Parts: sequence; C-alpha cells; structure tokens
Amino acid sequence: MEPKIGVYICHCGSNIAGTVDVEKVAEYARGLPSVVVSRDYKFMCSDPGQDLIKKDIKELGVNRVVVASCSPQMHEPTFRRAVQDGGLNPYYFEMANIREHCSWVTESRKEATDKAKALVSAAVRRVFYHQPLENKEVPVHPDTLIVGGGIAGIQAALEIANSGHKVYLVEREPSIGGHMMQLDKTFPTLDCSACILTPKMSMVGAHPQIELLAYCEVDNVSGYVGNFRVKIRKKARYVDTTKCNGCGTCMTKCPVKVDSEFDEKLAKRKAIYTPFAQAVPNVTTIDREHCTYFLKGKCRACEKFCERNAVNFEQEDEVMDIEVGNIILTTGFKIFDPSAIKEYGYGRYDNVLTSLEFERMVNSAGPTMGHIQLKNGQEPQSIAIIHCVGSRDEKYHEYCSRVCCMYAMKFAHLLLEHVHGCTVYEFYIDIRSFGKGYEEFYNRVQKEGTVFFRGRPGEVTDVAQTPEEKGKLIVQFEDTLVGKQRRQPVDMVILCSGIEAQTDAADVAHKFNISLGKENFFTEKHPKLDPVATMTDGIFIAGCCQGPRDIPDTVAQASAAAARVLALINKGKVEIEADTAFIDEARCSGCRICNLMCPYTAISYIEKDKVSRINEALCKGCGTCVAACPSGAITHKHFTNDQINAELEGILV
Amino acid sequence: MGDNAQTTFLDEVAALPACGKISECIQCGVCSGSCTTATHWEYPPRKVIAMVRSGLKDELLKSNSIWFCVSCYLCTARCPRDIKPASIVHGLESIALKEGYKPPTKTTTMYKTFSESIVNNGRIYEFGFMFKYYLQTNPLAALKMLPTALNLLAHKRMPLTPKKVKGKADLRIIINKLSAGGGK
Repeated sequence: MEPKIGVYICHCGSNIAGTVDVEKVAEYARGLPSVVVSRDYKFMCSDPGQDLIKKDIKELGVNRVVVASCSPQMHEPTFRRAVQDGGLNPYYFEMANIREHCSWVTESRKEATDKAKALVSAAVRRVFYHQPLENKEVPVHPDTLIVGGGIAGIQAALEIANSGHKVYLVEREPSIGGHMMQLDKTFPTLDCSACILTPKMSMVGAHPQIELLAYCEVDNVSGYVGNFRVKIRKKARYVDTTKCNGCGTCMTKCPVKVDSEFDEKLAKRKAIYTPFAQAVPNVTTIDREHCTYFLKGKCRACEKFCERNAVNFEQEDEVMDIEVGNIILTTGFKIFDPSAIKEYGYGRYDNVLTSLEFERMVNSAGPTMGHIQLKNGQEPQSIAIIHCVGSRDEKYHEYCSRVCCMYAMKFAHLLLEHVHGCTVYEFYIDIRSFGKGYEEFYNRVQKEGTVFFRGRPGEVTDVAQTPEEKGKLIVQFEDTLVGKQRRQPVDMVILCSGIEAQTDAADVAHKFNISLGKENFFTEKHPKLDPVATMTDGIFIAGCCQGPRDIPDTVAQASAAAARVLALINKGKVEIEADTAFIDEARCSGCRICNLMCPYTAISYIEKDKVSRINEALCKGCGTCVAACPSGAITHKHFTNDQINAELEGILV
Repeated sequence: MGDNAQTTFLDEVAALPACGKISECIQCGVCSGSCTTATHWEYPPRKVIAMVRSGLKDELLKSNSIWFCVSCYLCTARCPRDIKPASIVHGLESIALKEGYKPPTKTTTMYKTFSESIVNNGRIYEFGFMFKYYLQTNPLAALKMLPTALNLLAHKRMPLTPKKVKGKADLRIIINKLSAGGGK
C-alpha cells in the first residue's frame, strides 16, 4: 500500500498560531514526499477537527496521519481514535509537538516557524515507516491489596469490600487503627477519635470480603496492572490466632514490662500484649525482643495460664503468595522527633511533651486516665503550645504539616476543659484554619480565653532570671505583633511536631516501583487531576504517605482510590500498549544479557530452543533490552531503527 | 525588572554578602526570640528585616538597633528560612558607616582597631590595639585595665612590640579580596 500522508497543523487558538506561522508550516508540509493533503485548523482536537481527518481518509484515501499540535500526553489517544474511526489502524498516526516543544518556549516567530517545520518534517518521514499494531487486552484480577491499616486503608478496604470484591488488608503492627487510634478528640467537631474509628475497625475485622493480615509485611511485588503477584510475610506472633480469644489472662501473668508504643512510652505494656483494648484482630502477640523465655530460655507463664493453648513458642514466619489486580498504598506517616531541635529541650526537660504524648495523656483511656499532670503528679497551671516544630523550617521540613494549627487549638480547648483555671498560650507563626468549620473553631478557642502570641519561640529554658521564673519552664520569644522580646514562664510545654514520611518510605516505593518526591512522600500521577494514581498503572496511594493531610482529606482520598480500583475491576480488562519489544529468534544468540537487564522480568530463556523470548503482557516497552542486545536481535515495535532514523533525518534536512 | 527601576533599600541590602535571601523572610520572629541583646534594641531583629523591606532606611539607621549585635549567630542558626539576620545586621552597619551615621556604641571602634591590627601584622597585637582603642574612646578607662596589663607583662603574655606573620604579601591579597566582596 503506497503511503498517502495527511498533515494537520493545529492553531490551538493563539497558543500555537500566536507564535508559529501555521499556514506556512502547512504549505511547507504540502511539498514533503508522500504528503497528499496538508491543512491548518483552529482546534484539531474538536469534533470538526477530527472529522477533517476522517473525511480525508475516506475521500482522499489518506492512509497515514500526522497531527502537529500539543503534547501526546494529552491528545494522542484522541487522534488515534479518530484515525481508527476513519477506518485505519490507530498506529498509522504520529504526533508532532509544536506547542510545549515549540510555540511556548520560542520567542521569535521565524525561529518558531522553522522549528515547527522541522518537527513536522520528522513526523512525516517517521509515519512513512509506521506499521499496523494491535493493542492487547489482559484481564483484571478482581482482588485488591491494601497496604497500611490506618484510617485511609480501613476506609478504602470497606469501600471495595462493600461492593462485593475481595480485599487483602496488610498491616505491619499487631492491630489496625494507625495514628487515628492514638488521638483523643478530632478537630473541629471534637468527635471522640476512637468512638468513630472502632466501629469501622470491627467492620473490617468481621467483613466476609476482607482478609485482614495484621502483623504482616509485603516482601515482594511482581507483575503489572490487573495481574500483580505479591509475597506477604506473616510475622510470627507466637500465638495461634485461631485459638486466642483475647481474654487477656496471659497479659496479667506476664512478668515483663515494656514501654508501650501505643501510649508513646508514657505507660507500660507486657511482653505478650495487645496494643490497646479495642485491638482488631483481638489477639495477643509476643514481643520476642523482650520476652523472658526468648531471652533466657525459661518462664512460659503465658503458655501455662492460657486456657485455650493458644501460645506457641515454636511458631515461625510464614510466607503466603497472593494474586491481586490492584494495589492501594496507605502507609501513613510518622511524627517529627523534636529532640533534634535542642533549644526546645525535648528529652532534657521533664515537662516538654510532643503532641502525640499529649494526645495519650488527655485521653481518658490513656496512661493518666485523662488527667493532665506534670512529671511530679501536679496539675499544670500554665501551658505553652509551640506550633510549627519541624515544619516550615528549611533545616527540618520546608512544608507546612497542615494539621498542627488545628490540633494545637484543639489542645487549648481540651486543656481549658480538663484543668480548671489554667492559662494556655499558643505560639504561632500563622494560623492556618482552612477547612470546613476550622476558622469557626479558631474563633471558639479565642472566646474561651486562649492567649495567642504571634512568634516562633527562640528557646525553652529552665534558667530563671526573675523570682517568678523559678522552677518553671520559660519560653523566650518575640511577641511580633508588639515588637518586643518577652519571656513567658509556664509549667508545661507541648511541641506541635509535624508530619513526616515513614522512615522506610524509600524502600516501599522501590518495592512497588513507584516514585518518591521531595521529602520522601509518594508522588501522585498528577498533582491536581490525578492525585490518587501513581505513574505505575494499578498502584494507587491515599492518605499521609502522599503528603501531610487531615482525617477528612484522607478519608476522601481513600474513597477516591477505591473508586479508581472499582472502575478497573468493573471493566474487567485493561488495554496494554502495543509498543513492546520483540526478539528475532533467528538472530538471538541466547546470551541472556536481556534476561538480566529487563526491569519487568518479562524476558525468559527457552532452554529447548536456546533463545530468549519476551512475554508481551509483561513488557512495558522501556527499550532497555533493545539497547543491550549485542546481536541487534531485538526490535522495539513502534520504535524501529527505520522509524527513528527517518525521524532524525526529518529534523536534520 | 526594567532598567529604569530605582534601586531600593531592599535591593541595596540584598546585594550585600550573605544577605540575598532577605525577601524570603516569613517574619516568624525566631531571630528576635533568640537574640541575646534584643531587649536593648529599639527595633528587634525581625523588625529590622521588615523595615529594610519597607524601605524605612533613615528611621532604621538612626536607631540603636543594628549596633547591639554581638555576633552570637543564634538568629542565623535558628532561622527557618536561612535568612542570616546577623549578616544582614552587619551589612547594615557597613552601609550606615559609609553614609555617615554615627554609631551609638564603641563597638565600631573596637572592630576597627582590632581589624587594623590584623591587617597590619597578620595577627593580633594586644598592646598596640588596646592602646589605640582607649586613645580613641576613653583614655582614662585604660587605667582600669592596668593590673591585668601588668600581670600579662609579668608572665610574658603581652609583648610590647608586634609579632608579624610570614607571607604578609599573601595576606594582603586575601584582605583585598575580602574588601572587594564588600566586607570592610
């Protein structure tokens, strides 16, 4: 079939036509070899624009199409569809980017026009060599893996499971619940955090469509959208979860006391424990690092007293393999460790607390049963709350953690409620109360009598300069609205530690083959228009693993990620691009270099034929093997040598 | 910015060494909250930065503010935007001196006589330097230092003639380079 090329130059309103002389480019294209028609049009992506292409295919017998317009990221699918509707194979199409690569970045009209001509000439010469290719469809496995059992993971799991599809929810701690479970009240409505979370947790625990894999970690992920294979390691709890009913006898008998992670080390737990009373699953776990039996070889008190014979010291880690179609990562965050900021004295002064420590202290189920108290047991009469600790600071985290202003004001409210007659000072830089009902909450705590000082404190010290300061912690700061340096003596200081990425975020990103942004948060596919997808198809993200956010935003994002997964499950199949690599077996020497290079493990060596072969469903078309093959036996479909050489030639003539 | 735009006070300060990030200040006040002498300043360090940005040059340079900096650099160590307030304050001192503002403290004389000694000898020459300093400020105050001076002399800790470093020509090159950078 003799190539007959149609060329279409888009004005994109004035985006292209404002800088590029589109008529001249169209005229130039008319003179190129094999071009039978060349037009310019205001908006090629509009219906009439696409109709031009279809009409020329039918009436003029055009069988290759070049559109010079914007980036293929946006409209390549649009034009491929138009070409297909016109009756051609969609791969008989090439796009020249004369907007992002030309009109937007070139000032001179002449230079822009010349560059547009070169890009069009390259596309025309390339499309000459295009071959018809067929996209492949692969089925989508209907099960989903969710990694992280905080509020984001719980929300997403319930959304998907409630539609009747199976979910594996992996959590590395002994219980789901995450950070939200540690919080006392939630701003701005002051709902009790545990009261609104635990019903969801028990729904997860009881849901027939959710397989809860607590105290498990993902070891390995392979495969691609619709067809992931995941290895999950069930860490040994040394307790048979099918027998344990969470009665707690073992916990009362265990002689070892360990700092409770859940209570931010303000209380003790036993070496056999559940992190908190409402744990899901409600089974105990032995902390091997602290258990007397594991350390000294005797004790086994828990085993003796367990009526159901659930304790099993011989248990080992187990690895299970699962297949899923989609994955949602909801791996959460950790809080900034303020001991890095020496001048605030965390770790040095008894009564300097982090925000999470205060959450536990103010909680009625917490280590002090909700009594606010100093290390010596007395009630504080004055409390300083310092905002932006580790946030909005180039030395630690440049970003705003988005939740501290609001929880700091929640603290002020709770303090005034719990400690009669106390004074609360908020040391802030800017109050960021942007959510629904947030500014109103700010107003509420102002009315309640909280004192607001605008100024980031320089230091917290116990060195008194006056008799009133004796025995107190002194916050030295500038009251910036007055313009004076001042010292405020208080009994207790709460540091509003910011949100930061999990320590192992980079490992997780590597394991799931997604990208990490600045400060180790996972990168979304598009910051505005695709905030829950990643650059890896079939892997979605939600919650604080993507960046600091509050509970309402996290829940919204988790539901959005679930909706994206359900769309794929519903459709039941995904289309895989046809531009994969292909091995000419006659030329393959069987050296296996490509086997090792392939990042998707798509190439395997066929022993009986002594050649390598590519699994097209796994191949992502990255081209690594093509470059690596010493025999030149591998061709990348849609990126053949002929096509690339022609394109280069087109630019150079 | 067009070529006709006038150089503002902010531009002038931002062009000084280590002062280029002044427009990124978020006015959090950690500099003033950390400053060891801020209670003596008419305008605390944070406000000094705000005044530069507002172009209140005369009002600022007439005040006592910038002259109280003792170069402890706590502001600079703690600044969340790496503004380097201490460098800005020292930059303002040099602008003030060039434009004839009279410093309200003796610090400048101390700096000047101290650095003269370094420039001339390559190291500190205590006897000459203190002699000059008291001569320019208050010669009678030198009497208070007499017991210390005698003690130092007795222990041969204060030579009466300057000791010079080797390679004074190289030192001169270094100093010229520093001076060209604006640090006088």
